[in-house]
Amino acid sequence: MKMNFFSKTVIAAGCVALFAVSCKKESAKPEDNDNEIITTVELHFTEQGTGSSLTYKWEDLDGDGGNAPVISEIVLAPEKVYDVQIVLLDKTKTPVEDITEEVEEEAADHRFYFIPSGESNITIDDLNNDSDGIPLGITSRWTTAAAANGSVNIVLRHYPDGGKAANDLVSSSKSSTDADVTFSTKIQ
Amino acid sequence: MAITSHSFCQDCTLRLSGHVEDADTKEKLYAATVLLKELNREITTDENGDFVFGQLCAGEYTLYISHVSCDPVEQKIRLDRNRHQDIFLDHARKTLGAVVVEARKGIPNTGFKQELSGQTLEETKGLSLAQALSKLNGVSMLQTGSTVSKPVIHGLHSNRILTINNGVRQEGQQWGNEHAPEIDPFIADKLTVIKGVDELKYGSDAIAGVILVNPKPLRYLPGYYGELNTGYFSNDRQYYASAMFEQQLKKLPAFSYRVQGTFKKAANISTPHYRLNNTALQEANFSLTAGWKKEQYDIESFYSQFNTQIGIFSGSHMGNLTDLKNAIAASRPDDIYLGKDSYEIGRPYQDVTHRLFKIKSNFKSGIGKFHVQLAAQHNRRQEYDIVRDASRKGAQMRLAVLTLSEDISWDHPANGNFNGTVGISAMQQDNSYGGRYFIPAYTSSTLGGYWIEKWSKHQWEVQGGVRYDYKNINTTRYPYNSEPLSYNFNYSTVGASFNAIYKINDQLKVNTGVTLATRAPYVNELLSDGIHQGTGFYETGFIDRNTALVPDVKPEQSFNMIAGLSFNNSKNTFSAELIFYNNIINNFIYLQPSPGDTMVTVAGTFLQAKWKQTNARLTGIDLALNYHLSKQILLTSRTSVLRAYNRTLNDWQIGMPSDRTTLEAAYSFNDRGKFSGTYISVETPFVFKQTRVPDESKHGLQDYKEPPAGYVLMNLNVSTTILVGKNLPVTVGLSGTNLLNRSYREYMNSFRYFTDERGRNIGVRLKIPLEKTL
Repeated sequence: MKMNFFSKTVIAAGCVALFAVSCKKESAKPEDNDNEIITTVELHFTEQGTGSSLTYKWEDLDGDGGNAPVISEIVLAPEKVYDVQIVLLDKTKTPVEDITEEVEEEAADHRFYFIPSGESNITIDDLNNDSDGIPLGITSRWTTAAAANGSVNIVLRHYPDGGKAANDLVSSSKSSTDADVTFSTKIQ
Repeated sequence: MAITSHSFCQDCTLRLSGHVEDADTKEKLYAATVLLKELNREITTDENGDFVFGQLCAGEYTLYISHVSCDPVEQKIRLDRNRHQDIFLDHARKTLGAVVVEARKGIPNTGFKQELSGQTLEETKGLSLAQALSKLNGVSMLQTGSTVSKPVIHGLHSNRILTINNGVRQEGQQWGNEHAPEIDPFIADKLTVIKGVDELKYGSDAIAGVILVNPKPLRYLPGYYGELNTGYFSNDRQYYASAMFEQQLKKLPAFSYRVQGTFKKAANISTPHYRLNNTALQEANFSLTAGWKKEQYDIESFYSQFNTQIGIFSGSHMGNLTDLKNAIAASRPDDIYLGKDSYEIGRPYQDVTHRLFKIKSNFKSGIGKFHVQLAAQHNRRQEYDIVRDASRKGAQMRLAVLTLSEDISWDHPANGNFNGTVGISAMQQDNSYGGRYFIPAYTSSTLGGYWIEKWSKHQWEVQGGVRYDYKNINTTRYPYNSEPLSYNFNYSTVGASFNAIYKINDQLKVNTGVTLATRAPYVNELLSDGIHQGTGFYETGFIDRNTALVPDVKPEQSFNMIAGLSFNNSKNTFSAELIFYNNIINNFIYLQPSPGDTMVTVAGTFLQAKWKQTNARLTGIDLALNYHLSKQILLTSRTSVLRAYNRTLNDWQIGMPSDRTTLEAAYSFNDRGKFSGTYISVETPFVFKQTRVPDESKHGLQDYKEPPAGYVLMNLNVSTTILVGKNLPVTVGLSGTNLLNRSYREYMNSFRYFTDERGRNIGVRLKIPLEKTL
């Protein structure tokens, strides 16, 4: 921004006056977040038997606020079984940062929950486990029934103090929310 | 001792002149009695508070100075040449607390003003600045939990109150509701709230008024004075210590200095039924003052640093809509957030540092007095959020703002009955941010000028003033994945005030005033966009970064009419002060909770609060009554009533303090032996439920939760001063707040959605003064 010479001079003088505390200034660089932003949640579907693949994503490139997130509708075939892998990305970083890796490293402190709506006709199970044998959910199995419209809510919970147990509910007060996204689904 | 030194006198033509002032108000005290004990010579001060003894021999003397409304003072002095001695008298307890209409004692009038000083201020030691100020009638608090509090004057807060820290307009990050003033209350010798003409010296934007945080003047009496204040509170195991030392060297009479520091640490606070995790705090502050004073000029420099870390109750920091709605609906927080009694501060927390350096000079000349002040302030605010990855140590939101200000003013020589001041002031500001976005980076500059005149004659005191400011703000945001976004603003603001006081007779006085104040919108109101750390609500400013259309946000303009009436009976056993105000505010900017709107983020859906602009009207009454039932017993009441109306919505205005009244009974004991100034007081605040909120059946959802019920509390204060040895008067105080351990919630506390207020809190405090006069 334009700042006239006078202002610059007095600001420099003021810094000196404040006992040369070097007036630490935050640098004018794009916003970052130490608690990285998850801009993108990708779901990679592989149909059992055929091996054909599909990808759907939830994406909010400009972070919270601003433009609303772009959410694709999950369209699956009826009476099929899919292996699903979830991928979390931070696209504000160059190169793009894969946050799934970090979740995997701290698998004992994280857990994905998959909550399909009743009318979705989708069953989700067979979540992969962490090293303690407690569900993690980076991979899961989705089984579709007859044609239907519904939604699936996917929540990543974080256990800052550990203590993750198999029977913890998504609302457990031991954990807090890292990600919470909802896709609409269509079986056709 | 005095007698012996008299026997050495060779020169008995010395002169001792002096000047008596009220230590609190700095008013010259007329008709104070000055007794020279050794000679039993007594005189009274003239209209300027001056006195002179002539024909004195060299030697040591004891001066005993008394005044009808003050505690008497005894002072030893040594006379070896002609000498001038300034004397400051403290007001007796409770005679000042609620002064609304200033008594006239021979100085230009001061308009509307309320002060906290002397023992009333001492009762607030260890509390925050806002908690101390809320002892004043018409002042309440806006809180985020029990540890973050901001003053509210006549329903208005934050950017509408100018806080003047030792003469410098405080510029930190005071825009946020959970951003408390970054000031150590221990530097203050008195806290003053002013309204009207004098606020024009500090800005045209003081819609609610000005808070002056004033240290006592430097010592210009050879010798030293030191003071240690320390205390402990039971509720959160808070302990504090604040020490001050000031000295003037005999060999260097023009030079004086003071050093001061405070340390404070508190564990998690406890409500009557549960303790809130992560509500601990820590504070460490210090200041240095040095002055050089000559007859014609003086120079003073001041440096202060304020550092605090405050934990934010994790049970209010919800991840998403479901969690948040559950937390708001629950009658108490989930047990996981409760029960830990610890000094540890974990995430989420805030870490704030404020540094101030100023240099000020006053000089007299034939054409009046000149004042020049240069100040630099640097404020660094860091917010540490809960993080997914425990290895991350940094802050998620970082804000740094540097402010420079230059003020020059001139008091013209008294002209007939006129006294006046003309001044210009300039301010430059540079704000930067890192991490999570909440407000943009900006530079701003302000240039303003004012002129104030005061006139007094016989029963009349009249004053008026005008001020103009030009402000320019250039903002930039650096979003992810797109080009920087810039918005620039220019605002011209005008302030004006007129005030007239008429003394009908010795018992009755009327004070009326009108004030126009204009406030440019702040950057957060224009451009905030993010999740508030304290409450987990998503806050959005006026400007939506997705639309090219920038709304025309007009400056807030307030037209405030105040009328005050003060009465005391002829025996001075009863006094009453009544203030009525009607503040019409156009383009009033406020934060509207918007429970119907949600913000979708990757971490879930959040409740929103949006900045809005409306026309408002705030009408209210403050009434203070004092009655001396006997010499020992003093009954007081303070009542404040506010009706805040949203003229655009045609309904009540949201977010305004409810009606409240406080009754207090104090019993003062006669001084006895080594005990003096002993009193006990019981205080009962009654706070009514805020029923005047917008009607949801007409306007849709307005709030996340219904206003809480009213409440009644009981507080206690006991204090005495014990003379230890020959000359060490140690003051011991005991305080108790919420003695009955009532569970309650306050409408003006954003944590009312989640938790009860603090339970019973017993405090002890100790003041040890050390003085030596050479």
